[in-house]
Amino acid sequence: MLLNLFPGPRWSFRALLVALCLLPGWLSAADMGNCLLCHKYPGLSRIDQSGNMKLMFVNEEIFNKSVHSKVKCEGCHADITKIPHEPAKPVDCLAVCHIIEPTSEQKFSHKSVKTFMDESVHSKVDKEGKLKKYNEDMPTCKDCHDNPLFRPLAFVKKVRPGIADDAMGRCRVCHEKEDFIFRFYNHITTRLHKSRSPLNVAEACGKCHDDKEMVKRHGLTIMAGSSYQETFHGKAANLLDESIPDCLDCHVVKGKSVHQMYGNDDPRSSTHPNNRGAICNSVDCHPNASVQFANYQVHPVFDKEKSPFVYWFTSFFYVLTGGTLLPLMAILFLDLLRRLFPNASFKRRK
Amino acid sequence: MKKLLTKLYILAFMALVVYFGVIIWNLTFAHIIHEYHERNAANTEHTEESLAQKKKDDKSFEQVILKSEKRTKHYLGYRVLEQQYIKGHFHHIGYDVGPDRHSYCSSCHGDMPHDSVTKDLRAFLNMHAFFIGCQTCHARPEGEMATGVYQWYSRETGEIIPSPVNDAPPGTYKAKIIPFIMENGSLVRIDTQAKIDFVEQYRLNEKELTEGQKSKSKSIIHNVVSKKPVICEECHSSENPLLPLADLGYPKRRVDSITSTEVVGMIKNYTKFYMPKMLNPGVSHPVDPVEPLLPVEPAPSVPEDENLPPVDRAEG
Repeated sequence: MLLNLFPGPRWSFRALLVALCLLPGWLSAADMGNCLLCHKYPGLSRIDQSGNMKLMFVNEEIFNKSVHSKVKCEGCHADITKIPHEPAKPVDCLAVCHIIEPTSEQKFSHKSVKTFMDESVHSKVDKEGKLKKYNEDMPTCKDCHDNPLFRPLAFVKKVRPGIADDAMGRCRVCHEKEDFIFRFYNHITTRLHKSRSPLNVAEACGKCHDDKEMVKRHGLTIMAGSSYQETFHGKAANLLDESIPDCLDCHVVKGKSVHQMYGNDDPRSSTHPNNRGAICNSVDCHPNASVQFANYQVHPVFDKEKSPFVYWFTSFFYVLTGGTLLPLMAILFLDLLRRLFPNASFKRRK
Repeated sequence: MKKLLTKLYILAFMALVVYFGVIIWNLTFAHIIHEYHERNAANTEHTEESLAQKKKDDKSFEQVILKSEKRTKHYLGYRVLEQQYIKGHFHHIGYDVGPDRHSYCSSCHGDMPHDSVTKDLRAFLNMHAFFIGCQTCHARPEGEMATGVYQWYSRETGEIIPSPVNDAPPGTYKAKIIPFIMENGSLVRIDTQAKIDFVEQYRLNEKELTEGQKSKSKSIIHNVVSKKPVICEECHSSENPLLPLADLGYPKRRVDSITSTEVVGMIKNYTKFYMPKMLNPGVSHPVDPVEPLLPVEPAPSVPEDENLPPVDRAEG
């Protein structure tokens, strides 16, 4: 559906059609309404009465490398039907959009996510359907997701989105449309591995799970994101290791959606004491590990009361390291001081 | 000479030893002390309710302004996309403009100053303010002062620079257009150093000034401002646009786009154009509407609803 850009004269509508025909193929697909006429400007912004910045800029180059690049603007911003348009309503991620899901040939929707979320530990309601205390803290779509970008395989390729020319050549044997080949290749290869790096996943979870006040409000015992960063896994993630487990590898049951995450006391949860062993000794991680292996303190915190063993063990090494190196530094400093003033003395010379 | 060099060498070494000492302290004993204080604070302070209340009440400058500006990195394998983090923002930005460090207007009004105008226009005007100096629209040099000369200045250094337009994506220039005027027989930019110094002095001494001095200062600072700002159609017009777009380095393709039927047609759908409230102190509603040059259709009436969640309201 074309936006009713110019409710007035017909000539301007025709001019718009001409302009659309001149646009590059893949751009015109998503931007049928010529929304980028205005939204391509990075300065399209304002500060609202609460002091929050509203940025209406859409980076076309980045958008075209996102999983939503084929979705028309009005597919998500469905309330905008003309220009100038009214203040846009919040996007409903569960709305049925204009993309056809190829296996069912039905219009696409993220509706199933809501079903998953309602049962998960992140649901706003409890089992009886009542609103949970502090339900406003529970995540909505955009708390975890921004526009997912293609992350194709082939991490050795450092300058473009992992496009393997050989593979593309095989696609071209049967398929002709370059746009289709590019998108299909990216879609498939992006889905073959994590859609975000382990570090980005930990950061996304940490937005809430490292918020000190939020953690206390919900009676959680640890800062999950920062404690993950203290582990071997977290340190490897910091070095951008793609093969290291992140939050989702342990907290999501294999084969399930990330939206189906349950509390540690829920028997369905992968981190329930009965299921924990299967996390570490999965064939991808430590296949020969015993069940007990998973019972180590995964989220160590340097806190005397919460983790006394970790506290004393770490403190010992802090004292050992500091107690050795700091006196060494002091001795070095004094030695240099003597070399700087070889004849200096506190005693009065006679 | 050799002795002096040896002494300098020893001094540098001492500084290095102190530097390493601080690092070692921070990596060892500082952790233990920090944990002790954190634990004590947690034991004495907060109940769940007080924490919830504290979060709502925390509107300090540090919390609202300094800590709110975060950056985020997306590790895509082939590229690290670093950008400003805006809570709840869905689309990637991938571009930093940076504040205008030269404009004396922005020093008080900020880089996104258009909030008092009608909802249809505020974001558009802020968008233009990213590459058009305030005086370009808010000052109308008349008589001998008017020259019709405009040039680009760097947002970072303030210096006049060659046109940054070339093939850069629209609006992504780290520069702004500023008008030139005739002053004492010479061609000077409208934001003279004397005006910049005046504003700087005013801001430095603002607390000590009397009410009369403050008003006088503001009046002098704003005396360049025209009551009727330049409106959209004066530039977005194929006939004698106010800005000499070609002289400013816009290629013909871009000039045609700026003065095209899409842009001009869209502008015709706007009805009113207001001066900022700050120029009319004491007036609670927008005044002095400037009617557009061409007949237009009325804009749709929009109910104000500022309670929508941040950034969801991606209006233009």
